Amino acid sequence: MNTPLSTDIALEAKQLMVVRSGQVVLQQLSFVVEKGQIFALLGGNGAGKSTTLLTFLGFLPPTAGAAYVQGLNVEQHTREVRQAIAYLPEATTLYTHLSAQENLSYLLTLAGRQIDRAAIDKALDTVGLPTRAHAQRLDAYSKGMRQKVAIALALLRETPILLLDEPTSGLDPVAIDELNTLVQNLAAEGRTVLMVTHDVYGACQVADRIALLHNGSLVGTFSASKGAPIDTNTVHTAFKEQTVR
Amino acid sequence: MRSIYRELRFLSRDRAAILWLGLAFVITLLAVTAGLYEVQSQRSRLMQLLQADRSDRRIVTEKHNDWGSIAYHSFHLTFDAPSPLAFAALGQRELLPWKHRIRMLALEGQIYEADATNPAFTSIGRFDFAFVASNLLPLFVIFLLYGLRSDERAAGRFELLVATAGNGGHLWMTRATVRLGLLALCILSPLVGAAVGEGSPPHLVIFAGSAVLLHLVFWWIVSNEVSRLTQWSSPVLLTALIGLWLWFAVLSPSAIHTVIERLIPLPNGSEILLTQREAVNDAWDLPKKTTMTAFTERHPQWRGQADINQPFEWKWYYAFQQVGDQVTEPLSQQYDSGRLARNHLTTRLSFLAPPMWLEQTLQSLASTDVGAALSYEKSIRNFHAQLRAFYYQKLFEDQPFTAQALEQRPEYSKAHLH
Amino acid sequence: MMNPLRIAADEWRLWYRSRLAMVGLAAVIGLLAGTATITALRVHTESKDRTEGQVQADEHFLTQPDRHPHRMIHYGHYVFRTPAPLAIFDPGIDALTGDAIFLEGHRQNSATFASAQASTNLGGFGALTPALMYQLFVPLLLIAFGHSVILRERELGTLPTLLAQGLSTSTLVAGKMLALVGLITLLLLPALLVLFFALANGASAIVSLTVVLSYALYLLVWAAIIMLASLTSRHRSWALGVLLGIWFSWTLLIPRLGATITRLRIPTAGKIEMDLLMQEDIRRAGDGHNATDPAFVNIRTELLAQHNVERVEDLPVNIRGVVAEASEAALTTIMNRYANTRMRLEVSQAKAVTSFGWLSPPLALSAASQTLAGTDLATHHRFLREAEKLRLDFVQGLNRIHAQQLRYQDDIDRSRNTEAEKRTRVSAESWSLLKKFSFSRAQANDRISVAFRYWMMLIAWVAGIAVACGLATRRLAP
Repeated sequence: MNTPLSTDIALEAKQLMVVRSGQVVLQQLSFVVEKGQIFALLGGNGAGKSTTLLTFLGFLPPTAGAAYVQGLNVEQHTREVRQAIAYLPEATTLYTHLSAQENLSYLLTLAGRQIDRAAIDKALDTVGLPTRAHAQRLDAYSKGMRQKVAIALALLRETPILLLDEPTSGLDPVAIDELNTLVQNLAAEGRTVLMVTHDVYGACQVADRIALLHNGSLVGTFSASKGAPIDTNTVHTAFKEQTVR
Repeated sequence: MRSIYRELRFLSRDRAAILWLGLAFVITLLAVTAGLYEVQSQRSRLMQLLQADRSDRRIVTEKHNDWGSIAYHSFHLTFDAPSPLAFAALGQRELLPWKHRIRMLALEGQIYEADATNPAFTSIGRFDFAFVASNLLPLFVIFLLYGLRSDERAAGRFELLVATAGNGGHLWMTRATVRLGLLALCILSPLVGAAVGEGSPPHLVIFAGSAVLLHLVFWWIVSNEVSRLTQWSSPVLLTALIGLWLWFAVLSPSAIHTVIERLIPLPNGSEILLTQREAVNDAWDLPKKTTMTAFTERHPQWRGQADINQPFEWKWYYAFQQVGDQVTEPLSQQYDSGRLARNHLTTRLSFLAPPMWLEQTLQSLASTDVGAALSYEKSIRNFHAQLRAFYYQKLFEDQPFTAQALEQRPEYSKAHLH
Repeated sequence: MMNPLRIAADEWRLWYRSRLAMVGLAAVIGLLAGTATITALRVHTESKDRTEGQVQADEHFLTQPDRHPHRMIHYGHYVFRTPAPLAIFDPGIDALTGDAIFLEGHRQNSATFASAQASTNLGGFGALTPALMYQLFVPLLLIAFGHSVILRERELGTLPTLLAQGLSTSTLVAGKMLALVGLITLLLLPALLVLFFALANGASAIVSLTVVLSYALYLLVWAAIIMLASLTSRHRSWALGVLLGIWFSWTLLIPRLGATITRLRIPTAGKIEMDLLMQEDIRRAGDGHNATDPAFVNIRTELLAQHNVERVEDLPVNIRGVVAEASEAALTTIMNRYANTRMRLEVSQAKAVTSFGWLSPPLALSAASQTLAGTDLATHHRFLREAEKLRLDFVQGLNRIHAQQLRYQDDIDRSRNTEAEKRTRVSAESWSLLKKFSFSRAQANDRISVAFRYWMMLIAWVAGIAVACGLATRRLAP
């Protein structure tokens, strides 16, 4: 099989199998995420959601199959792939001894980008961080505020693809709404979002497609039809049936 | 270059790292200062001793006016002045003598006298640059590097950082380089500063600095590999690295020491003294001819003048002192070659324990190692032989004593060391 | 109150289940056994060598043929210091001081051939002994095991759960402390074994027991400081860093810095400087080989007056022997003055260094341990003094023989007249005046009372840290 060269495909998993310390975490996992799409991987604990993200980032070499980012094999082009992706890990804690501005400026230089203070402040405003907090050290922040800084980092990277690991965990309802809007705006700009979550309602609200993962295998997919979001009840029922089984 | 600048700025906010670096600098500065002070005090003590030694000989010369008595009463100070790099590695000068007063009597009875420092000090050990660089530097490297990956992992930042940087290896490399570069600066700048003040030969300082850097790189590789190959948490990692430090800095040297002592046994030192004493004392009762025959075997040029007619004659007295040394010679040579062999083997095996290797290297650059002490001992033997040659001529040729002739008497100088 | 024990048991079970902890424990116990064996073997050989050396030296002296007594003064004698029974645990400064002294007339020689002089260059730490293992490396194991006793509960989030059960913080801390004390007891077992072995070789039981108690007290200081770090830190890495920093300054930094500072504060002249100074004094005291030396004119006139004769030849005693005895006495006074000055200085230096024990418990313990084992500086000085006593005793004995049994006329003629020379030889039986040398160390009680001074330092440390722990315990909150 040839590598698909279509520029419409941002991420693709092909027959992915990952074994970690003797245990099969992903098997026969195949899916495609198109450019500009918001794709949610839904599943319970230990379903293999985070593993999938780490495989796309090149942290876990697949035992069989392959992961492609913009048509590039992740294993062979790890560096280029990572440059195309902004990654928001679960429960991120950026450096608590640095301020939000310092954190962003450090991490962006690390990514090889030169971004001025104004742009940083603008991004922090975008994610809804109060202006007075920009120069404060992160150890004074609440969990939600820290998460916002991490999201701002993902924004500022200006990459075509975003991988979000449980982006809404620990956020209050208002912050979740803000985040969802932000993600949808990004998708509208043409960026691709692959997010991982165990929150059925959140996923249905924001995603164009949902893949249901159980024990490392794909057990169902749901797509939004034009204009209408995915039906929560359908997904919820499927979730319960597939995972309780 | 930009990444170095980025990590420098990042480091400037890390209080723990700044603390370790500052501590490394202060400790090195203290060690170098203590070394400088010790070397200064050794030099000034030596100057005073040289003066006292000269005036002591002058008094002897005023009091006596025959070659035999003058030879008997005149002591000569021999010494191994500290080298310009000795401040960095005071080394064996603590334990092995670097100054000796000797006279015309049998040398074996004199050369093992030790001008020992208070053993309460020796047992604690020296605080000099070599100690800092070989034993403490690894700890600083470990403290600076152990949490590099594992702390980021514990904070959940590891993947984010690597994904953001694109290539993790490069990031850790830069961070470690910046930290260790600063550490090297903290450790080496006091050394270089003091070396300039002391006027140490630049090539020696460069060798010393390179050896320290090599040692630092060894511990870098160790710390890096252990934290790269394992997924251990910071506390476990730190404990494991301290364990490795114990292995290389303490246990291996001790094991090497034990093995070498077993492999190369030395004759018991007191046996040399006993043999020598018996030989010298028995000579009083032996027929004088026996002594003189043994003597002229070594010094055939005096065969014609070796008849002793009086119950006591100085030339016979010094001849039996010399014969006493001759009797002890096999033992003392065995002792010397044993110590030399131990030293060689230690140098060779020190590769198994890098901290020990560095200490050896620094001491040998500073001429404060066992080898230097042995060559000082050799210089004493040479000088003693010159003294003998001088007095033998006077005594056997029965030359009258004159102050002018005495001026030709050899004096110990630095030149004897080379 | 079963609770503290339950908590301790839980901690022990955790350690027991951790492979890493068990490997570390096995390694340290193996090392203790290894160093104990090597040290015991070495001390055993030394002990045998020196006992044999002493027997040989005695025999040499006693079997010398008939000769002039002054020749025996120059022939001299060797004395050896046999290692203390407790040296197998803590050889102290033995390897550095030399263990044999050559005793002869007119000179005080120093102890020669310290074994460290002939040994390889070891680098920073020197030979490992059981004592050193306990002083330096057992605390590292305690740190590795103990730094997380409280922090672990905090980091895992079990601390609130425990406290919510109605467990008081003091019970929790007592239990954790009990866990550490249990570990210390286990670690002290190899030491007990070594000390039993020493006991079988003649060590005093009460001293051996005091040694164990000293080490227990010392390790208790560590347990307390580890507890304090675990109580007051927020993260394990932080606690571990702080404790290693403390270890580093207590064991490596403060002792060496203390020694360096003391060297600057209390400088001593070396042996050569002392010899040169002493030479001046000795010249003034006169040469005892020369009975006509102006320094001895007084003795001569007094002696003549006392026996009411005109010429020294008519004296009932040999004036050469009398002068030799008087001059040896005068010389010894001078030499002892210098030796005492030097020893006093060395003692005050050692005291100054040990006073840094208020800052570094390992230094306090090491002083206590060497004192108890009889391998300290004071014991070395005692050896030097006893040897000097023996030296003076046999030298003066021979001088008295010289004065009483030799005719003056023969004595002055002996280098020209072979017959006179023969008459100046005294019978070899006289050599039995030499006393047997067996070095005895200070009494157990004296050693313990000196060691108690260093105990005070350790007790002060334990008390201070315990108070801090008490305060931290009261403040302990999830």
